[in-house]
Amino acid sequence: MSHDHGLPPKSSVSRWFLTTNHKDIGVLYLITALFFLVFGGVLALLFRLELITPGADLLGQMGYNQAVSTHGLLMVFWFISPFAFGFANYLVPLQIGADDLAFPRLNALSYWLYLFSGLLMGVSFFQGTTFAGGWTMYAPLNTPAYIPGEGLGATSVVLALIMFTAAVTLGSVNFLTTMYRMRAEGLRMRDIPIFSLSINLTVWMMLFAFAALLAALMILASDHILGTTYFQYSIDGTTMATDADNPGASLLWAHLFWFFGHPEVYIVFFPALGVMAECFQTFTGRRLVGRKWFIISMVLVAIQSFVVWMHHMFLTGINLPIKTIFMATTIGISLPFDLMVFSLIYTMAKGRVRFTTPFLFSLGALILFIIGGITGVFLGAIVLDYQFRGTYWVVAHFHYVMVAGATALFGGLYYWYPKITGKMYNERLGQIQFGVYFLGFNLLYFPMFIAWETPRRVFVYPESLQIWHSMATVGGFILGASFLLMFYNLFVSLWRGEDAGDNPWAYATSAEWAVSSPPPLENFPGVPSYATGKLEFLDDETVAERTERASGAGHGHAATDGGTAADGGAVTTRAAATATAMEPAHETAGEEHASHASFWPFLVSLGGFVTFLGLSGVRTGSVVYLSMAAIGGLVTFGSLFGMTREPFHAPEMAIAERWPFSSVEKMKLGMWTFLASDIVLFGAFIGSYAFVRVAYGWTAWHHDLIPAEHVTMPGLINTYLLLTSSFLVVLAMVAAERESKRGTVAALVGTFALGVGFLINKGLEWQHLFHIHSEAFPNGWNLSTNIASSTFYLTTGLHGAHVTIGLIICAYMAVRAWNGAYQGDDRAIEYFGLYWHFVDIVWLFLFPLFYIL
Amino acid sequence: MPSFVLSHTAAVFPLHGGGVRAPSEVFAQIFEVFLLLGTAVGVVVVAYTMYHALKYRDDGGADPYADKVERPQMGEMPTGGSGGRKVFYSFSISAIIVVSLIAWTYSQLLYIEQGPDPAQTDALEIDVEGFRFGWEFAYPNNHTTNTLYVPQDRVVRLQVTSRDVFHNFGIPELRVKTDAIPGQYTSAWFTANETGTYEAKCYELCGSGHSLMIAEVRVLPQDEYESWYNGTEGSTGSGNQTAANGTETATESADLAAPTASAAPAATAGGVGA
Amino acid sequence: MDWKGYTVIYVVLFAFATAQAVVEFAGLVESAYWIAFAVIMVLSVIKAVGVAAYYQHLRWEPRAVTYLVVGGTVAALALTGAAAYSIL
Repeated sequence: MSHDHGLPPKSSVSRWFLTTNHKDIGVLYLITALFFLVFGGVLALLFRLELITPGADLLGQMGYNQAVSTHGLLMVFWFISPFAFGFANYLVPLQIGADDLAFPRLNALSYWLYLFSGLLMGVSFFQGTTFAGGWTMYAPLNTPAYIPGEGLGATSVVLALIMFTAAVTLGSVNFLTTMYRMRAEGLRMRDIPIFSLSINLTVWMMLFAFAALLAALMILASDHILGTTYFQYSIDGTTMATDADNPGASLLWAHLFWFFGHPEVYIVFFPALGVMAECFQTFTGRRLVGRKWFIISMVLVAIQSFVVWMHHMFLTGINLPIKTIFMATTIGISLPFDLMVFSLIYTMAKGRVRFTTPFLFSLGALILFIIGGITGVFLGAIVLDYQFRGTYWVVAHFHYVMVAGATALFGGLYYWYPKITGKMYNERLGQIQFGVYFLGFNLLYFPMFIAWETPRRVFVYPESLQIWHSMATVGGFILGASFLLMFYNLFVSLWRGEDAGDNPWAYATSAEWAVSSPPPLENFPGVPSYATGKLEFLDDETVAERTERASGAGHGHAATDGGTAADGGAVTTRAAATATAMEPAHETAGEEHASHASFWPFLVSLGGFVTFLGLSGVRTGSVVYLSMAAIGGLVTFGSLFGMTREPFHAPEMAIAERWPFSSVEKMKLGMWTFLASDIVLFGAFIGSYAFVRVAYGWTAWHHDLIPAEHVTMPGLINTYLLLTSSFLVVLAMVAAERESKRGTVAALVGTFALGVGFLINKGLEWQHLFHIHSEAFPNGWNLSTNIASSTFYLTTGLHGAHVTIGLIICAYMAVRAWNGAYQGDDRAIEYFGLYWHFVDIVWLFLFPLFYIL
Repeated sequence: MPSFVLSHTAAVFPLHGGGVRAPSEVFAQIFEVFLLLGTAVGVVVVAYTMYHALKYRDDGGADPYADKVERPQMGEMPTGGSGGRKVFYSFSISAIIVVSLIAWTYSQLLYIEQGPDPAQTDALEIDVEGFRFGWEFAYPNNHTTNTLYVPQDRVVRLQVTSRDVFHNFGIPELRVKTDAIPGQYTSAWFTANETGTYEAKCYELCGSGHSLMIAEVRVLPQDEYESWYNGTEGSTGSGNQTAANGTETATESADLAAPTASAAPAATAGGVGA
Repeated sequence: MDWKGYTVIYVVLFAFATAQAVVEFAGLVESAYWIAFAVIMVLSVIKAVGVAAYYQHLRWEPRAVTYLVVGGTVAALALTGAAAYSIL
């Protein structure tokens, strides 16, 4: 199976910049995440030092606020989830029987965007001050008006988060497509190992939750850079009185943030739960008790996690009915966890429990989680919640939950270390580390329950509480020191460790243990299959045979041949032999080789980094920042183009389990998944508009804030233009199907022209509104005029940006069609159409909301 | 009593709230029950976990359950293990405990939300406005202060807002707390049964001076409070004046020279970085 | 679906967009705001469903794709609805 995959050996530095292999990227994620653990951990130690005495003596006020804020952001965003996704990258393909993720280059892109977003976060420390408004970033403290100095560091943090969110969204699309299109034969969704299942549910939550966060961050970035006033309480330097003209500003952030923030808790915790379940099964030698109910519980939690967010806002004056509803959903979401905890406990019964390091960490995590869960029930009682709000009770509780999750993940690191490196770590040292870790953890966080009356994020506190805070500080340093043992152990074992063999753990069952350590580049010695109920590796002949049989069932186009929705879990091969559609097809006549190397993801992310760094300072007018933004933009755009042109082959599996998307080719599924997250993005923008408008007074809004010059006509014309362009895309598809090159080109060019017309019309309209001189709006109606103008320009602007991106793709496709592409295979046009029609649909709502009502 | 319109005269005929169940009592009772039950459940569950872990540990000898249970095999399709029924029993017990606890506290929540019947306990209404970094209290006669003076044994209702960023107003000893949000009003109530000096703190990060955003709360005997309040009657006009000044103060960013700075602990004399 | 079917959809979409504007030009937004609101939004929803079902071919895809889209929509509506309701 040796063929040229274009990938240098692991000892070569260039490999790590080129690789698109999921295992390499998994390793990169793990190492990078550990770096950010140290980064965030050192910040925590700094402010724990500050807190060792009740007075203010070390960091200074803003220094302290920066330390607590960035500690939270780094740990939540740049450490814990990416750490889990290091495992997910490495293991999900192995566990489900795939040779890589569905879109390997996209996966590399996710990683590099993640790394560079973290670097941007790091750079923010050197731009005066970094963000200091807490990891929850409440408005309007997160806006420039309340950020001391130029505030560029804070803007960088917002942009870094946007970049991180982009990485997460790409990752979610990638993982979902992989898990629904690339499971080994015979492996139903419910049959995939529990860790992979936990990742599946995690990425589902990520897909929607991070889209809401993206909306919040884009709006915030716009407030920082473009001067919109969504979260602004103060306009034109005058403080608004109680009849503020944007009374919803502050609460809007809270809603958007917590709509993301609560699912985020489970996004962080689910992978840890998966690791715990895996380790419990292996080290007890028992199957997970009540596995089915365990899974159902996780699904319930994943769904319900989107309807509990207001329990973070019980004191914001939300009405009693909504408090009651959210109290009920909150209690409801805690119950499935009880079941999962008991399931883990009973899994030990009649087992052969071995207290290896991974099991110690898993068991420790379970105990910590039990404490975290019980103290969480306190918060579910609203009367108690009112008083715990903003205190160390909350701090202690969520650290017991979140860091319990991290604890399980460290167990995972020991568990899979032999698989990833091929070497065994030092068991005794691992167990010692666990002891030190567990002691440090409890010494750090338990005293916080006792000292719970301390308000959060303060550096002075009553002297009577000093003993507890000093104890916590000592615990923090012990916890930190335990990591030195871990790093030493894992590092030295790379050389001194014994060879681990394929499977060092008795009773491990999942497929990653059935291959060598580390696994070969393309994972399996044959094509994995569970068709007989047990893992087998099929040879090429058997695969060909089964492919033959299956392809008789149905081929052709799912969208046009009347639908194959009913073919359930059947194995289909329709699109297996074709290249992905948005990329030029470069398949050679002979055997297809999967590609594993591309330099473009790195370059795109580097360009993005430079762009965002530039954007953080454009409002100062500095030439340095402006040119960085421009150059970075060129690099990003150029490398995206290079990436599109690059021959890169990621074949679909010949046989695979694909329920419930068996007739949805992977590119199409990827597109739909992305669009689903885009729905939430736009939904959150429209929701923000609705919210601030309701807060202002829905009907008064139109009369008070919108000039008479803002009329319906430009919107109506644009509606016509977009509808017509959508129609033309469909015609382009029909023409391509009929192999009419002229028709295809004409329809695509028409689409392009109408889209450009849309943008020109919008530009004229905006110009007009910017420069009106009426009695009510003597200085025009621009982005900063009022909250209505902010919502109008930003929401329709985001839509305009989508149109622009669509036009770039459309122009590219028109040129390719001119050169003869797509004839007889209209899938690329169809997928572009999915995007274009979506943009059209969004407009169908923006038009009435922003032009008529 | 027919709808009694609150006015300046309300202060002259205070109706006592001494018999009212204070929020601090409600909190203390619920917290105590939760602590006891929580500790008990925690100890039982953790002990139960450890019991399982230790009882079934692999001592290196032969598998005592070799003929009773089937061990997982490499490459098998994942399935559930036996013993699901026990999971359900345990789950049901925990669910009953949690749901009944929360249901019990819900009735208490309604009391906290609605407050004692206003007809019986004509409340003192005070507007609270947070600013960076202090609190301003406006009385019915428009007098404003930066120290909260309240009479003993009388229901005090707060209308809380902020004039700049998101704050949270709380007096921990009296168990009253609510968010102070620019553009929004939230309400909370309390009654203090003991005279003395308390502290009101900010519980939401609001900038450089957040840690020091503390206001004094003085609970006075009713007669003392009345004489203090009557002494403020003449300052109605200047009360508005103060509010206007306060507004200006707030716009000066990170200005710790605001009146409450004196309430900050001496240990924090370090520079105000902003 | 052939081009004729697509054309029918296009004509309907065009007509509905015009109808929305007509509702405003007729002064209904001024005189009976919430009726106009309901009419206009319902027209938008119908248009959106039409585009999704026919131009995006959701009708012919496995239902799971529709659930995916509905899932995103429900999440966005939950955010909008509950947030707006909470401050009413």
